[in-house]
Amino acid sequence: MSRLRRDPRSERSRHRVEGAARPRFDLAAAPSGLHGRARRDPRAEFRLAQVPGTARLRLDRTQRVAALDLAPAARAPEPQAGPRLVAIPEPAFLVAAVPDAPGGRLTPHDRQLLGAARLLADAGGGAVLVLAGAPADELARAGADRVLALPVTGYDPEARAMALQAVLAGLDIRHVLLPESPEGGDLARRLAALTGEPLFAGAESLTARAVTRPAAGRRTEQRMVPPRLLTLAADAAAAHAGTLHEALEVAFAFPPLPPGAILSADDVPADPSRVPLAEADFVVSAGNGITDFASFHDLVEALHATPGASRVVCDAGLMPRAAQVGASGTVLEARCYFALGIAGAPQHLQGVARCEHVVAVNTDLHAAMIERAGLAVVADAQKVMPALLSLLAEKAADAETHDAGAGESEAEAVDA
Amino acid sequence: MREPMNVAVLLSAGHHPVSGRACPVPVEMQAIGLGNALGAEMTGLHAGPASETIADALGHGLARLVHLKIGEADDPLASLIAALGTEKSALVLAGRVGQGGEDSGLLPYALARALGLPVVPDASALREGPEPSTLLVEQALPRGARRRLMVRLPALVTVHPAAPAPLPFAYAARRRGVVEERAGIASPRGERAIEERAYRPRPKLIAKSAAGASAAERLKAATEAASGGGRVLVDPPPEEAAREILAHLRDIGVLRG
Ligand SMILES: Cc1cc2nc3c(=O)[nH]c(=O)nc-3n(C[C@H](O)[C@H](O)[C@H](O)COP(=O)(O)OP(=O)(O)OC[C@H]3O[C@@H](n4cnc5c(N)ncnc54)[C@H](O)[C@@H]3O)c2cc1C
Repeated sequence: MSRLRRDPRSERSRHRVEGAARPRFDLAAAPSGLHGRARRDPRAEFRLAQVPGTARLRLDRTQRVAALDLAPAARAPEPQAGPRLVAIPEPAFLVAAVPDAPGGRLTPHDRQLLGAARLLADAGGGAVLVLAGAPADELARAGADRVLALPVTGYDPEARAMALQAVLAGLDIRHVLLPESPEGGDLARRLAALTGEPLFAGAESLTARAVTRPAAGRRTEQRMVPPRLLTLAADAAAAHAGTLHEALEVAFAFPPLPPGAILSADDVPADPSRVPLAEADFVVSAGNGITDFASFHDLVEALHATPGASRVVCDAGLMPRAAQVGASGTVLEARCYFALGIAGAPQHLQGVARCEHVVAVNTDLHAAMIERAGLAVVADAQKVMPALLSLLAEKAADAETHDAGAGESEAEAVDA
Repeated sequence: MREPMNVAVLLSAGHHPVSGRACPVPVEMQAIGLGNALGAEMTGLHAGPASETIADALGHGLARLVHLKIGEADDPLASLIAALGTEKSALVLAGRVGQGGEDSGLLPYALARALGLPVVPDASALREGPEPSTLLVEQALPRGARRRLMVRLPALVTVHPAAPAPLPFAYAARRRGVVEERAGIASPRGERAIEERAYRPRPKLIAKSAAGASAAERLKAATEAASGGGRVLVDPPPEEAAREILAHLRDIGVLRG
């Protein structure tokens, strides 16, 4: 190891006299703590950027590790306190947000809705009232001060709208925000028709003083002060972050709700092989590292997923063009993306940007896809696919013998 | 065989999203297709000023169109309520939002409220129900899922773009179709404190970390999920890899069973 590198600038800045308008240095005094910018050491950066374990020199210029190592050591570590809890005991008014919360979990759009509600509430000392059931800690993090679940089960949007109307009449609510999603948009319009209030649909920008929405086929923009009832387009407002809120349960006596005209409702899960790629929930995708396409197709079917591919594979004619994922193919909205033998070129990763979970199998530890993945397996995909298939077949056989008693559940097990 | 159902389709004066020229709204043409698939007696309903393109709907398989003439500044709601009151339709079909007007999608709901009809949104297929005056509606949900609903008629159903594609335009059908012109009810729209100006596209939200970072970091933020830093298994035996992957997929909840 060489001798420690001198840094004359920081040595000098350690003698700086605090509080003077012009920089003054008292070289006679004992040096104070570290000051100023850390000096760059290009050699150390180079050393840290080297990827170990390869015969050829390989540099990781993203400098994730290096940036950490070069940080001035003298800076005290920030105290790792949890987010601050903000309580609003006496709100001036309420801003109601009605998230979709499918299955009791907030979607990203729901979080943005709560962020927008926070913005309107914080502008005047109000509190955010969330009108849906979801885990309290999730709502607290998303910025909810009060929570009130609507007493409607199953699919009955008219009853939900009537429950909302009752809440609007009973509490001091200045704004009601709904997401401009299939379900939220429907509910907002029902509520507008019920109460006779104007609806500001699909707001694209929102501040406490003005909201805008597109009209006339995106030729004109309508703008006004935030009205009482508005729906928010996706990706238009930032989600709340930083502080925790109370998410206190509120008591409210709902009037009895009459039954609607919908006699029955059954959910039919999507058929993954027919779903367009852009709408698919779970995509299993093949790249240039896949040679065994028979196993790949079997795996896609066994996992009940929608098949995708990288551009190389589509160019080679091994998969249809409609299956291409990426900038020049389809941009996915999937919850989970399972990449087999895909390097993860930027053009490909753009198509996966909105996926919540990524699983990757690749032989190259340094592939960008491995870095992007929540679970990455460095292995040969041709060996992993048969192992997955046999494990899935085992599970299916298990489930079948387990449920052999009831005819109906057996049919389900074969389905699943 | 039952009596053919009486179905009204609401048609709006659409504008093409790119060229801005008047044209039919695709989802309303799909509504005509859904009504035809029911074997229904169909009537198109449009309330608005005179327009060339409204009659184009006849070319997509509609036999009869009632055009309620109102002024440019009039609200079509009152005319439509009056017309549907006399038509006695068992089913009213509409698109979800217009294309070129206010585009708020509120009209079907306000109409249904005034006529006391239930609204069923986002239909992608329609079938006659098992009992008389019921309707089976297949509702399109996000991510390709569907919901089967049984509804008591009369009802108002809005149509989703996932419905079957409309019949192609046929000029002969357009010539054959009948347009009935009636006077609508003049009801000027109330004033709203809305300022209108030319549309300005708003930037979509992108990852926060991108602000002020280098180009490489911005690309990373655009292509990377917020939750980085996953688990890496290096050279596991295939069986172990398979077990880990399936366990992970099950944790996420994408794997059923
Ligand atoms: C303008 C433009 C637009 C583009 N648009 C797109 C687009 O939309 N979508 C797209 O996908 N691409 C697109 N590309 C191409 C993109 O740049 C890449 O070339 C492409 O994505 C690479 O595909 P790949 O990862 O399958 O192949 P490769 O880059 O060849 O990677 C194969 C990977 O498989 C791994 N591998 C090899 N053997 C095995 C094995 N046995 N088991 C496991 N892993 C193995 C390798 O380690 C490697 O990481 C575009 C390019 C341009 C210039």
